[in-house]
Amino acid sequence: MAQATQRELLAARIFLRAVLPVIKVLLTEDPAFKKRFAKVNAKVQFLAKNEPADVGACLVFENGDFRVEQGICNSPDISFVFRNVSRMNAMFAGKPAIPWISGLTKPGLLIKVFSLLMGLMILMPNARPKDPAKRRLKVKMTFYMITTALSQYNKGRDPEMVKWTSRQPERIYQITVDDGIAAYLRVKAGKTKAGRGTYTKRRPFLHMRFNGVEGAFPIVMNDIDMVTAVRQGHLSVEGSPEYGANIGDFMMRIQNLIT
Amino acid sequence: MSEGLTWTVYDADTMTQAEIYGQVLCDLGEMHPEIVGLSADLAKSTKIGRFGDRFPERFFNAGIAEQNLFGMAAGLAKAGLVPFVSTMAAFASMRAAEQVRTDICYQNLNVKIIATHAGASFGQAGTTHHCTEDIAIMRSFANMCVIVPADGVEMANAVKACISWPGPVYIRIGRGFEPRFYPNEDYGFSIGKAVKVADGTDITLICCGVTVLPCAEAARILKEQEGLSVRVLNMHTIKPLDEKAVEEAIADTRRIITFEEHTVLGGLGSAVADCIAASGKGCAFKKVGISDCFCEVGYPEDLYTHYKLDTDGVIETVREVMKMDFEEDEDWEDEV
Repeated sequence: MAQATQRELLAARIFLRAVLPVIKVLLTEDPAFKKRFAKVNAKVQFLAKNEPADVGACLVFENGDFRVEQGICNSPDISFVFRNVSRMNAMFAGKPAIPWISGLTKPGLLIKVFSLLMGLMILMPNARPKDPAKRRLKVKMTFYMITTALSQYNKGRDPEMVKWTSRQPERIYQITVDDGIAAYLRVKAGKTKAGRGTYTKRRPFLHMRFNGVEGAFPIVMNDIDMVTAVRQGHLSVEGSPEYGANIGDFMMRIQNLIT
Repeated sequence: MSEGLTWTVYDADTMTQAEIYGQVLCDLGEMHPEIVGLSADLAKSTKIGRFGDRFPERFFNAGIAEQNLFGMAAGLAKAGLVPFVSTMAAFASMRAAEQVRTDICYQNLNVKIIATHAGASFGQAGTTHHCTEDIAIMRSFANMCVIVPADGVEMANAVKACISWPGPVYIRIGRGFEPRFYPNEDYGFSIGKAVKVADGTDITLICCGVTVLPCAEAARILKEQEGLSVRVLNMHTIKPLDEKAVEEAIADTRRIITFEEHTVLGGLGSAVADCIAASGKGCAFKKVGISDCFCEVGYPEDLYTHYKLDTDGVIETVREVMKMDFEEDEDWEDEV
């Protein structure tokens, strides 16, 4: 059995712990998904074979509630089993990778889960929704995913990220789009934690404020860089520009890792 | 400078805080005939003698009798004049404490006390001439306003501003060799309003008097060398304290250190500590000053180093407080 590289494991960590959790945004804010999963009670396992231990996470649906449990869950209703971590990462990145699927006896649930995974494709760099509601969803899911991904990148012990976080006191890196879209990364002496909303216990060390969804969308789509966004008035940055650039570099590294 | 004062930036390079005070008081005396000057055989040392030379009919030397000095000032204020009283801080705050309290503060009289040689600024003169308790004593008197200027420039601003402040004011300065901090007087001085010398989000240094310069210098070094974002508040007015600035510092940075050339008991640090306690919010906090002891005898610069009030001392304390945990850590693995 294959043994994943550190880089593959780090990418899997980002997918399982940063990408999958934003499914909750789809389930709570997209009316179609909300309705479709309102009465679903099921567990869906994603698993990649690996030595010395398999890698995976389980989506847990409970009457409209949703959570991601890391690891292997008991008696999943559906399992997507990949031959190795690399193939699982490829599937999450939108590349062809066929898993072995158990649970074909529950075609209704399977179709719903497939539709959900297709909904997750909104995070792909080439997904450019025109509907304002979908654009808002993309911006929200992206910033939620990014802040968690940054934290997981550190927890996954990327050497550069660990070096960067370990020399910092408690600091908040806040992203705000509007009253409904805000996320932050908290850093403290090598530890990190992502959160939703506005951190209120201290002033952000770095605060990136977008002037609404339409201002944030070109950044999310990589149509313009942050410097241009600031110049065009889409973004204002309070705090150290050097640390803002550091955050931007780590975002790029994560993007390269998972695409 | 408004009110037509003749004091200039050039003067701040060559004049001590006390000399600037004497000069500013002369200029104010031209505009305010109600100003009178008093001293207790220290007109030359405290520089109020300049006012006496310019307005001999409005200047009174009480002799070496500080209790009488403040009693006389109270009487003159009661008669509608505005007495400026200058003597050494040790004599103003301790020898004449009862007269300041009962004759002046109790009646909320318009007496302005300019106390020189405060803190450890006259370090080599020994404990009798040190004054490391005056802020604590003066801020405990009802009605008293307490100001500790950062340098000669701020001294000029404070003297000018205290004219329109109703009631007693205690302005505390050193012996006179403190380095200049402000390049000019236009930085927004207002009694009771802290000046944000540097902004930051990692930690706040709240300082007054001679400690403002090393705190600002330390903030610059810490930013350049360690990437720390340090806020520095020049809390020139100890009473009334700018509570809003302290509350913002608690909320924004959650780590505060106070620096003062004074005992850590009852001075700026205690005033800030009261404010933190009243806010009900968690905050890492440390007071730096002269601990519960009589100040060592020596040159002021050596004493500042000894009590960690110089730039190196500030940096050392910041590093210490940055490691201080003040609340139970949360579960960093429980992530959305």
